[in-house]
Amino acid sequence: MITPQPPRGLYLHVPFCRSLCPYCDFVVVAGAAAFGPRSRIGGYLRAVEREIDLRAAAVDRSFGALGSALRTGDGTRAPLESLYLGGGTPSLLPEEALAALIARVRDRFGLANGAEVTLECNPGVDERGDARAAVQAGVTRFSIGVQSMNVDALRDLGRRHTPDDVSECVAAVRAAGATSVSIDLLADLPNVSLESWAASLSDAIALDPDHMSVYALTLATDGADAGDADDRLATPAGALAWRARAAAAQDEERGAEELELLDRRLPAAGFDWYEISNWAREGHTSRHNRLYWQRAAVEAVGPGAHAFDGVRRRWNSANLDAWEASLHAGELPPGGADEPLSEEGAAAELLVLSLRMSTGVVRDEAMRGGFGEALRWGESNGLLAPHPDDSTRIQLTLRGRLLSNELFSRIV
Amino acid sequence: MSDIPQSRLRNFSIIAHIDHGKSTLADRLMEATHTVDPRQMTSQMLDSMDLEREKGITIKARAVRLEYAAADGLNYGLNLIDTPGHVDFAYEVSRSLQACDGAILVVDASQGIEAQTLANVHLAMKMGLVIIPVLNKIDLPASDPEAVMNELEETLAIPREEVILASAKEGRGITEILEALVKRIPAPSGPLEAPLKALVFDSHYDTYKGVVNYIRVQEGRLKMGEGITMMGSGAQCLPVELGYFRPQHVPVQVLQAGEVGYVATGLKSVRDARVGDTVTTTANPAASPLPGYQVALPLVFAGLYPVKGDDYPALREALEKLHLNDASFTFEAESSAALGFGFRCGFLGLLHMEIVQERLEREFNLQLIASAPSCKYQVHLSNGKGELLINNPAQLPSPNHIDEIREPWVNASIVTPSQYIGTIMDLSTDKRGIFDGMEYLDEKRVVMRFQIPLAELIVDYFDQLKSRTQGYASLDYVESEYRVAPLVKLDILVNGEPVDALSTIIHRDRAQGSGRNLASKLKELIPRQMFEVPIQAAIGGTIIARETVKAVRKNVLAKCYGGDITRKKKLLEKQKEGKERMKRVGSVEIPQEAFLAVLRTDSE
Repeated sequence: MITPQPPRGLYLHVPFCRSLCPYCDFVVVAGAAAFGPRSRIGGYLRAVEREIDLRAAAVDRSFGALGSALRTGDGTRAPLESLYLGGGTPSLLPEEALAALIARVRDRFGLANGAEVTLECNPGVDERGDARAAVQAGVTRFSIGVQSMNVDALRDLGRRHTPDDVSECVAAVRAAGATSVSIDLLADLPNVSLESWAASLSDAIALDPDHMSVYALTLATDGADAGDADDRLATPAGALAWRARAAAAQDEERGAEELELLDRRLPAAGFDWYEISNWAREGHTSRHNRLYWQRAAVEAVGPGAHAFDGVRRRWNSANLDAWEASLHAGELPPGGADEPLSEEGAAAELLVLSLRMSTGVVRDEAMRGGFGEALRWGESNGLLAPHPDDSTRIQLTLRGRLLSNELFSRIV
Repeated sequence: MSDIPQSRLRNFSIIAHIDHGKSTLADRLMEATHTVDPRQMTSQMLDSMDLEREKGITIKARAVRLEYAAADGLNYGLNLIDTPGHVDFAYEVSRSLQACDGAILVVDASQGIEAQTLANVHLAMKMGLVIIPVLNKIDLPASDPEAVMNELEETLAIPREEVILASAKEGRGITEILEALVKRIPAPSGPLEAPLKALVFDSHYDTYKGVVNYIRVQEGRLKMGEGITMMGSGAQCLPVELGYFRPQHVPVQVLQAGEVGYVATGLKSVRDARVGDTVTTTANPAASPLPGYQVALPLVFAGLYPVKGDDYPALREALEKLHLNDASFTFEAESSAALGFGFRCGFLGLLHMEIVQERLEREFNLQLIASAPSCKYQVHLSNGKGELLINNPAQLPSPNHIDEIREPWVNASIVTPSQYIGTIMDLSTDKRGIFDGMEYLDEKRVVMRFQIPLAELIVDYFDQLKSRTQGYASLDYVESEYRVAPLVKLDILVNGEPVDALSTIIHRDRAQGSGRNLASKLKELIPRQMFEVPIQAAIGGTIIARETVKAVRKNVLAKCYGGDITRKKKLLEKQKEGKERMKRVGSVEIPQEAFLAVLRTDSE
């Protein structure tokens, strides 16, 4: 019997952006809501502080009050290992507000010594925020939304920054004393040749980050991605039109070649892949994201944020008004939850998540778990191979990483 | 027994082209004779199947007795035997006509006589039936009764004085028609005291009453309580019920010579009481049966497969049930590597095929795929190994075992406004047709005659004819003979494996184009696989066209964090469901939709 677990991490969603990017599916409000006299950031901050209090109180009731990370079994719970401020553009938050939020999380949930505190930030001059203040507030890790080092591609993606802005931003967070710097890149960009993409990758490597996430651009063109859950906002018509055009200019072959190129270039530059879309220098993997892939409990606050307690996934409504109104009235926000998974469902999910990571799984255990047919199919089609450092384990091959859904759809 | 003597019975049917107003006329005749309670009257009363009302065609023959108080002060019993109007059901027409002594010929006064009507009238005249010509729709501004009467005179030698002008829609001419039925059609003449001879002209299956035969009593009497024998099958039974149609069943104790009615036999299989059989009494049997009908033989063959493999037993059951009501199609089990288990079915024509498929889908809630239609080929084997009859390309032996292949030809006649002569000529010669002559019906309309291979006709000739002539041309055809042709089997190979459902027998000159077309279509329809998949069209061992489906290179969900996990799982489950719906050909997974799409559009 699986029982709910106390959270090991907290995800805090900050939904504000200076402007919307047409490919983005995250819960974002932009423009006047994020900036200037009609900014909603103030109301949001009051609400999210309230949610931190309410969620923490619930955790206290279930798992005991905050204790010490060093002691267990005394009726108290451990502080968090990770806080992740994602967005949106969390670097838009005023520096004192950011400091207050982190302090509140430390106060209510606890942050263990050496906990990872990640701040997502955009590189644009008007959106990157003050790195020094962020580090002072407790941020240890910056995740920078670079996407590309190609100026035309950035413009086409609706980004507000240039490659020079990226260099300045990276320099600023380094100067501020960040422990870890990560950059995000996109692959399979419309109208970007393999050569330009390779050049952009070289420029990104030259920034000397500690961690890189590279995502093949996924364009939800039907707008129905939200399903019946209210954890996403409707995609504006203009963005849908952009996506339809962009999807037509994507190229499966070229996208695959880019990901293959990555697999040659990044190891040579000192990065190891540790998850399908993530590479890191030694000691710089994302602790927060590893919690997700280990199916560990992660609490979440903010509109559209998703939490997991080890048994059940729940989410907040993406509707900023509804989310805020409940919290201002002192109540938890509206949202939804999935049915808890069956034991086999949970095992399948854990297997898929484990296989996304380079550590893979112990072959014999996974075979015994009822996934033998799928795994053998993966092996015979060159998607799975023995782990180079541990022959009892199997991991995805490069081909397997590119075609992982072919395998995973046989596991779920 | 009804109280109307034999001398005051009249048995007739209505011959008409689709849309010329046959069903409306039948409705008016029933109204005028108070056969149906006006409150229960629905339009096209006799077409009881939804499909018939929707398509505006009559599929099954039906009968109804009208009781008419004539101008001479006497009551008459007029038995209307309704007949299907489409070429596929010509056999039903000939059956119905055999039960009649006269026929109303309905011609649209604005459109003139059509090919199918022409054929049926010739048939009726050959059988000695009295023809009562009716020009319908004279209310329409476009109607031109004079021109159509000329046409009738010239093509059928029907004197214009005999023609009745009518508008079934407005009820005009109905009394004249009823009087003409009484005066012009002879009363049936079969002896009442002779041993029973009744012709089965149709049948259906009723869960409670067993096989119900529709009969015309030619001689003697059929009585409740007297055992009967089907002279053809030898099956014996005691009638469960006798009666006539109004149009619902009205039970009686006796049916006598000249009457049209039904006998419920209680028999469980239509095979025991086939259409065309003769019913006689077991105790006092007739010496010889009535001349039966030529059994209608299927011309068009196709495999019917359930979309969901689990539905195979349900399909078998549905075919068996439907066959009880429509014995004119045939079915036998077959299996296909691509489509699974199904049935090879024979149909009277393409429309018949469409109707059977639709009835199976609607009445039995099945989803079906039909393989490409085929006809029956005679295959002469080499080295004196004899002859094979095949209706499925999969049965064709390899070319080195074949001396020659013969295919069925038909004589087609097309009635068309003369401005379409050129396009019909092009279409028909393109379909390997041989022009056989042409006659003008009047200055604007012609009958064109072609000899044409049936295989060409059943692909898309009829659709093309309709679209090229805006629906103005009508087509009739009769089987003629088998002729030798350079036919080959065109196979489609996916990753080296032949896809049996896509094999066709085709003229050698057409194979290249058709093969290219199929291969390029499949290329679009088959999703990328884990490896490169060649698609080839081949005749024997020779590849005549090739396309390649590239291997899938990338299928990955890049982001997988908090909120993505549920979403990703839904996506994976969708991909999994998609895979489960696929059919396997060798190691290639092909979506069912790909077969459907190819089979539906193989007409180009």
